Amino acid sequence: MGSSNPILDEVKPAILKEVDPVDIPRPALVENNRSFSWITDKICGIVEEKTPTWWWVCFIIACAGASFTVMGLVYLVATGTGVWGLANPANWGWAIVNFVFWIGIGHAGTLISAILCLLRQKWRTSINRAAEAMTIFAVVCAGIFPVFHVGRVWMAWFLFPIPNANAIWPNFRSALLWDVFAVSTYGTVSVLFWYVGLIPDLASVRDRAKNKIRQVLYGIFAMGWRGSNRQWSNYEMCYLLLAGLSTPLVLSVHTIVSFDFAISLLPGWHTTIFPPYFVAGAIFSGFGMVLTLMLPLRAIYRLEDLITQYHIDCMTKIILATGTMVGYAYGMEFFIAAYGANDFEIFAFVNRAFGNYAWAYWIMISCNVISPQFFWFKKIRENTALVWIITIFVNIGMWFERFVIAVTTLTRDFVPSSWGYYSPTIIDIFTYLGTFGLFSVLFLLFLRFLPLMAMAEIKVVTPQADPHNH
Amino acid sequence: MANQHGIIAKFDTPAGIMHAAEKVRDAGYKNWDVITPFPIHGMDPAMGIKRSLVGRFTIVGGTIGLTTGMLMIWFTGASELSLPYMDGYKLIVGGKPYFSPQFAFPVSYELTILFSAFASIGGMFILNKLPRHHHPVLKYKDVAASSDDKFFLYIQNEDPQFDGEKTRSFLKNLGPVEVGELEE
Amino acid sequence: MSEDFSPNPKKWLAIGVVGLTISFVGFFVDTQLAVWSYLIGLIFITSIAVGMLFLVMIHHIFDAEWSVIVRRQAEHYISALPYMGFLFIPLFIITYMGKDQGILWLWMNQDAPLHGHGTVSTDILYQKKTWWLSETFFWARAFFCFAVWTYFARAFRKNSFTQDQDGSPNHTFSSRKHAAAGLILVALTWTSAAFDWIMGLEYHWFSTMFGVWIFASAMRAALSVMLLTCAFLVAKGPLKGILNTKHLHDVATLAFAFTVFWAYISFSQYFLIWNANIPEETFWFNDREKGIWWPISMILIFGYFLFPFLYMLQFPLKTNFKSMTFMATWVLGLNLLDVFFNVLPSLKDSHGEPFQLFSSFHNIIWYISGVAGAGGVLLWAYWSSFLKTKIIPIRDPRIRDCLNHNH
Repeated sequence: MGSSNPILDEVKPAILKEVDPVDIPRPALVENNRSFSWITDKICGIVEEKTPTWWWVCFIIACAGASFTVMGLVYLVATGTGVWGLANPANWGWAIVNFVFWIGIGHAGTLISAILCLLRQKWRTSINRAAEAMTIFAVVCAGIFPVFHVGRVWMAWFLFPIPNANAIWPNFRSALLWDVFAVSTYGTVSVLFWYVGLIPDLASVRDRAKNKIRQVLYGIFAMGWRGSNRQWSNYEMCYLLLAGLSTPLVLSVHTIVSFDFAISLLPGWHTTIFPPYFVAGAIFSGFGMVLTLMLPLRAIYRLEDLITQYHIDCMTKIILATGTMVGYAYGMEFFIAAYGANDFEIFAFVNRAFGNYAWAYWIMISCNVISPQFFWFKKIRENTALVWIITIFVNIGMWFERFVIAVTTLTRDFVPSSWGYYSPTIIDIFTYLGTFGLFSVLFLLFLRFLPLMAMAEIKVVTPQADPHNH
Repeated sequence: MANQHGIIAKFDTPAGIMHAAEKVRDAGYKNWDVITPFPIHGMDPAMGIKRSLVGRFTIVGGTIGLTTGMLMIWFTGASELSLPYMDGYKLIVGGKPYFSPQFAFPVSYELTILFSAFASIGGMFILNKLPRHHHPVLKYKDVAASSDDKFFLYIQNEDPQFDGEKTRSFLKNLGPVEVGELEE
Repeated sequence: MSEDFSPNPKKWLAIGVVGLTISFVGFFVDTQLAVWSYLIGLIFITSIAVGMLFLVMIHHIFDAEWSVIVRRQAEHYISALPYMGFLFIPLFIITYMGKDQGILWLWMNQDAPLHGHGTVSTDILYQKKTWWLSETFFWARAFFCFAVWTYFARAFRKNSFTQDQDGSPNHTFSSRKHAAAGLILVALTWTSAAFDWIMGLEYHWFSTMFGVWIFASAMRAALSVMLLTCAFLVAKGPLKGILNTKHLHDVATLAFAFTVFWAYISFSQYFLIWNANIPEETFWFNDREKGIWWPISMILIFGYFLFPFLYMLQFPLKTNFKSMTFMATWVLGLNLLDVFFNVLPSLKDSHGEPFQLFSSFHNIIWYISGVAGAGGVLLWAYWSSFLKTKIIPIRDPRIRDCLNHNH
């Protein structure tokens, strides 16, 4: 082992003889010493096996759920945006809340694939593929709300600076237009990143294909990948660069989403900490969703050797960390509202905690700040069922966070005569709940047709992949 | 028999292929490669491959993206230029300047990333000469194992040092599981 | 350790004492500016030490392996934290008991005239902030901050140094637990310090982002000092053959990451205020566009962000000790300029105009003495601690992985 470091061989300072590390072994990332081919068989097996019954049951339920979104949207297009509960003074309601919620969910996928890649956190390999898929499907769900909120959805192309007969350009001073660019870039780059990651695994599926159709279809998307090291060299550099690009991208997307609120002059919205606070919240909710999805899959497909307790520990700790950051931001907002001595700002925050929507505020606080604190305890982190329940609370809490931000401020604006109480309509509720169906449909299809985990990357983190390990 | 493309050797372990690669590199071969199911840490120096050039593409893409964004926003909001099918015009919105790098930044930034990502992936495909579905390696009988758990090394007959029998016995001496022919 | 390398901590203490003495003389010659310069030096050096504390905690929380060698250097730097607390005592005496209590934080003097509208005590904004802007509370907070930092600094140092002797894994576990709690407490205390010491200089102004901004700034300062330390120790011998270019590359990459993070935070803060254009907030930036502060803000954008960003994008430069020495010096210098930019325009003349950096040539004496005083003490603390311990944590669980860490 020692001979691998040429510099050490040259000089060998005396202190190195004294080196005698304490033994605290790192947890294995793949348990039970699984071989390369076991990993390939396990993951390709999920795609190759006969469609299980539970899959069909879930798929049909998910389709039925998704149909609610479709019906809601059809009704909206046919009637008008008035079918949503938006009315003065709350002209932003569930639509923006759902949009920010779903975009936020997506952020964990990019975080796992990009930031953890840059930080060389090897445990990401077991979960990054599914998390990236989650990102893409979440962006799809998120996109629905702003696009349909424009009302005449067939005019949505006006959002892009396309030279047109009227020579009308979009307004580049508007945060909503920045959103268009941010979210479409985010969607595109996430798909590309995901796809680049998939190429070697698609080649594996292609090479194992038993029939011609599968071979050709997977073959086309595998681009003729042959795992040559001259290719791996460029491939890895490309992957690293994409990770490097996705990191500022994921930060910028939620930053720009936070600009939707923060560049305004409204109390409770115009706060400089919004960008990092939104990003932390997004990662928080995203990790919640990753665990919500992965824990059942781990049980169904018996993936305990690949998603180990160590993986769960890492993810719960990130939830704990980001939940605490979000708590820090809540604290800063209150502190600066008080310290800034602006009456409107003070009112906005007192109203959040004790006003009409206090119930929503306290749901948010208990789900986002209090519930993750349970993850301090090892016993709870090791209880999969409890972890799963807490992640559900995290998801609920983060939805309420956006609800609190959007609605409390809007329904209590500067002029008391225009104050109101915002409630969603049944169409709002159906459209939103339906997106969970849509998300599940997409995710189930992903499960069926694409390798759930990045096989090539998991193989790299096994001990036998180390060429110095004899 | 079809034309020969090269000679291929199969290995069982990452360590095996790594040592073989080091020897092939030291023997001075140029047109050769290894096929592995995953990137092996330290294989690039073992093969004598230089740092990948994908980054150059990224820089170019990013620069183009940033410039495009800034120019687009300046053109549509602060210029009165007339181009085919599009005219810039000035319009005051929200008391903001016609153009300022501040509000142009978010969109230009996104375009920087978008173009960089396109360029990186495009660059990777160009440098890797992909897609290519008919590479001789893909025709080798056993190659499917290379995306599972086996490791291959092949030397092309185009290599200036290539010499049928000598190269074959050289490869045999590297400790492979088996050695075979690659067909064109 | 190399035999021919024998650092002398007393030399640095001497520099510190000279700096402090000049600042002390300055107190009688050019009272206000000398005190402000002293504060600037103190904030700058404290931010380095706090940044180092963050580095230690981040190392433990990630159970990182590459940074074990580097962490030992950070452990030396954090020994300076209690001394920084002592260096605050003169400011406490001046503002709590002195004649002109508002000399630094204007609000501490109830009768200080505000340009254009009465005095502090008649200022509605002050009246609404008295719950926080109370002198006793202010100094209690400062004391609490230093107490927290000192506690954690001692805990990490003790764990790490004792492990060298007894090789018990419990020290590592203890450090991890301390790191988890410490990250929360140090983040909160450093925020409070940033609000009090810097934002409070201009008590009308407020920004929720400010704590994060100063955190980013501290990390950049600490990482620059860390790069310089690594390069110095490799050049002089003690870490030669131990710390390789891969370690350097990793520290440089962190420095790069925080360059981007700092830019992100500064841009977001500036941009939100610029775009909303509310006078209550914009005046802070407007003051920093007057006179020399305008070119300085441009230097910060291009020199403190863009140049380091493009420079550190390049792999060959990040893996070269000489080129990173240059960049670390550059960033550290501009970090200090950034502290000046943050602090000094809050000092107003009788017309309410911001103080100009080079209003008089001899200003520079107080600037240098302010930084040298605290800086000398920091390096004295560093070298004293350095001499007492092993150059690397020989019993750390990840030390072997760290030594084998290579490209």
